[in-house]
Amino acid sequence: MILAVELAYWQLLVIKVLAVMVIVPTATAVIVQTFLFKMMAHMQSRLGPMEAGPHGALQLLADGAKFVQKELLAPERADRRVFFLAPVVVLLSTFLLFVVIPAGPNVVAEDLDIGIFFALAVSSISVLGILMAGWASANKYALMGGLRAAGQLIAYELPLVLAVVGVVIQSGELSLQGIVRAQAEGAIFGVGLIGQPFIFTQFIGFALFLVATQAELTQPPFDMPIAESELVAGYQVEYSGLQFLFFYLGEFGAAFAFSALAATMFLGGWYVPGLDVDGGLISNLVGPAVLFVKTMLVAFLIFWIRFTYPRLREDQLQTFAWKFLIPLALVNILATGVFKVLF
Amino acid sequence: MDQYLPIVVMFVLAVGFVVLSIVTSKLLAPGRPTPAKEAPYESGIVPTSEPARRFPVRFYLVAMIFIVFDIEIIFLFPWAVVHRELGAFGLWAIVAFIVPFFLSFLWEVAEGGLEWGPVSRSRPLTDEHRTTTSTVRLVGMDGREPSEPAVRDRPAEEKTNEKEEVVT
Repeated sequence: MILAVELAYWQLLVIKVLAVMVIVPTATAVIVQTFLFKMMAHMQSRLGPMEAGPHGALQLLADGAKFVQKELLAPERADRRVFFLAPVVVLLSTFLLFVVIPAGPNVVAEDLDIGIFFALAVSSISVLGILMAGWASANKYALMGGLRAAGQLIAYELPLVLAVVGVVIQSGELSLQGIVRAQAEGAIFGVGLIGQPFIFTQFIGFALFLVATQAELTQPPFDMPIAESELVAGYQVEYSGLQFLFFYLGEFGAAFAFSALAATMFLGGWYVPGLDVDGGLISNLVGPAVLFVKTMLVAFLIFWIRFTYPRLREDQLQTFAWKFLIPLALVNILATGVFKVLF
Repeated sequence: MDQYLPIVVMFVLAVGFVVLSIVTSKLLAPGRPTPAKEAPYESGIVPTSEPARRFPVRFYLVAMIFIVFDIEIIFLFPWAVVHRELGAFGLWAIVAFIVPFFLSFLWEVAEGGLEWGPVSRSRPLTDEHRTTTSTVRLVGMDGREPSEPAVRDRPAEEKTNEKEEVVT
């Protein structure tokens, strides 16, 4: 352990989990402030929020304070229990997603043996929350939005998971630390200068993962579940105050988590050449910063696409997933398998 | 199962976070519901009926194929982890496993199980003898001298006048 003080297992556990609890809202705030407020505004020749704090940096604190004071409402015919539980389900799935993401040789809440599989499984729970929200609202726009979300999320779940199989074949491990180590210790044509980030060998997997992430997060051009011009706000239409904030926390927290997963699986994670893979104080201190930079790079790509492309049509979206992404993902797996086994 | 303890703790703490936030909000926020606030928001139009409780039946097929792929994925991950030990035998086995799945998927696509667009009409919208060339000729030359300026270049009133003249 890097700390000078020896801590009991449970003390360490509580510290780690509390750290994750702090990181999730912070990461969400960073994503929303950097990309949704500022980058979007500057790409559209606007300034974005400027009043709260220097250059509007404290806008989210003001927003949070506002949301907490708003009345929690449920429509009169709503299924109240399911209605109030739905945003919580979305939020829980986001919180659990952060547990397995490693930011250094020891900086991880828990390095599960099945890390990446757990992350994908937990992330898909948010579909349930969205469907619950749409169903319980007793509003036709909400119901349509919820059903669209369900159809979209199961369609893009498959390319997302299949894209990961290629990485697992290459690393031979499901643990995210193992995937980072495999990239750090790999070599490109025998030259091990920068390790072997899997983006070089799994570029198709990386592209598939990004596209599927875009759809899983219901970011434009895949935002039909909350299409404003068609469904007002889809499954979110009846939510107010804190409940609405939970959905946003879930959505953009997951955006950060998925970017971090993509950075871990394809860009080498917290490792940069020069760091010690197996531990050490420097790795544990520099690792989180490296992961953060890589994560923000991936998130920049996601939001760049978000602000650039217009919304797809519902049947185009489904066709794209089933008839293009899934066969491509299977071909990628086959190609990776053949290269790894026969060569 | 030791590994899963942090996840359980995380779950409990996250639920605690939610409860705490909601309690804070209940304390700070006003609670004055009115019928207008509680009505479902459907762009200002008062809903007259319950929202529809129907799925398109075809979506059932999508759900089925999703489960099939899910099963495939469950078996792909263990193979991906141990493929080094299994070698070429494992590769051929997994190919033999994927190919029937993919064929069934192809069959569903061919049967139109994944078509979402508007249902194609049984009756053609236009006369089937009407072709591109006939349409273009009719539009371009009907009731018009070749030397006249094109209709689209004139102001709107003149256009309507001309149409009436043609009719009479």
